[in-house]
Amino acid sequence: MADGTRTLLVGNGPLADGLHDGLVDRGHLVAQVVPVRSDDWTDVGTGIGTGVGLIGRPDLVVHVPPIPAGPVALVDQSTQQWVEACELPMAEAFAVARACLPYLSERARLVWVVPTVAMGGAAGFVGSAAACEGIRALAKSAARQWGPDGPTTAVLAVAPEVALPPDTDPAARIPGAIALTGPALGRPGDAYGDLAPLLDLLAAPAARFMTGVTLVADGGVWMAP
Amino acid sequence: MSPDTAPCGGLPGDRLLEGHAVLVTGGASGLGLGMASAMAAHGAAVMLACRRLETGEPAAASLRDAGYDVTCIRCDVTSAEDLRAAVDATIAAHGRLDCMVHNAIASTGGPTLIHEIARQHWDAMVSTTIRATFEGARAAHPHLRDAGGSMILMTSSAGMEGSASLPVYAMVKAAQRTIAKGLAAEWGPDGIRVNCIAPVALTPAMERAYAENPVLQERLLERTPLGRIGHPLDDVGPVAVFLASDMARFMTGQTLVVDGGGFLGL
Repeated sequence: MADGTRTLLVGNGPLADGLHDGLVDRGHLVAQVVPVRSDDWTDVGTGIGTGVGLIGRPDLVVHVPPIPAGPVALVDQSTQQWVEACELPMAEAFAVARACLPYLSERARLVWVVPTVAMGGAAGFVGSAAACEGIRALAKSAARQWGPDGPTTAVLAVAPEVALPPDTDPAARIPGAIALTGPALGRPGDAYGDLAPLLDLLAAPAARFMTGVTLVADGGVWMAP
Repeated sequence: MSPDTAPCGGLPGDRLLEGHAVLVTGGASGLGLGMASAMAAHGAAVMLACRRLETGEPAAASLRDAGYDVTCIRCDVTSAEDLRAAVDATIAAHGRLDCMVHNAIASTGGPTLIHEIARQHWDAMVSTTIRATFEGARAAHPHLRDAGGSMILMTSSAGMEGSASLPVYAMVKAAQRTIAKGLAAEWGPDGIRVNCIAPVALTPAMERAYAENPVLQERLLERTPLGRIGHPLDDVGPVAVFLASDMARFMTGQTLVVDGGGFLGL
């Protein structure tokens, strides 16, 4: 798709920034917005409206939900930490789906980028992993609800090393770190060169018949069906 | 034979939960009552944690009349204090907690469009499921560790395949399943197992769902190879007994789908 694709990128941090740069270099016109209050649907909607004002109706919306640093054992978490790890990212993802729908044509796609811990769970990241799995369910539900005449959805599941905050404790027992073998491709990948092209692919008309799916792009760690 | 390979000592005809203490949220009716009844029949002392005593206490009384050890405590699962009190009451009454079943959930309501869902509905679904799981898990953890016990969370095939009609329900049920996996990893070293049940059963909540979505029952039956909707006590209850028992001692982080074969995606 590339040249001229209007992409609204919601989120910040190294992963979102790398995706931004990669998409820009592939010819996307990108507006990046960062919700101030994830749990405030109105605030998320205002941010999306501002982004649409900059680039016009988007062909592609990409949401990178926030993930707090860790690991923190669930029993050591405060309620506020739990809310920030689990409930706010889910609420933000839901708000993004609600707010962007009026701007999306039937050719547009909404993609969430989450770590593969969504599928496998993760000690120390129980809330974040659960939120990401909830978001995967949202992608499926939205695809079913929006139907043949609505926009499509997808999830890009990436290596935890790529998606978790850079100040994450390297000793975190995340699946990628405790797999019996490392990534088949020898590295977890990077947002700019490995993942942005996949978003470009998902925005292409050739990918139109995929919706509600999860593409796993972690270099070949998570290979469960 | 080493202790690790000793027979687990449970056969289907046995009372698999003799000496166990179990706490079930949302235990006044439907799935919660079905699971609680089955666990009580297998010898467990059961604490029903119910939002309304006027429904929970009669349920407990009827089980006591049947000869089971069942008590009831008022518990609004959106309150961390209530959840802690329910755990504390179980310990006070029975001296232990072997299994916590978090079954309570707010009403799912009827089919809803994503862009029309009210914030109130979102908050109710989140607070009764994932927040309550968090608060309940924190309260129960030390006691489950002492007992070498387990936690059972309720999920749904909707959380695995999405739902066009109940998108928030699908989200929170998906999240519950990954919470179970993460907790299984965190709590395994403590000897605590965490598993999920994904049931389809004829409950008061399901009957309300039928009323709000008239095609639901027909569609469920069409996709169910066993040709009927499950029974909370007879079909789902035994699975809860199994997961809480020593029979399942090497299972954790798993989801058992108890729906007559309707969902085959795992």
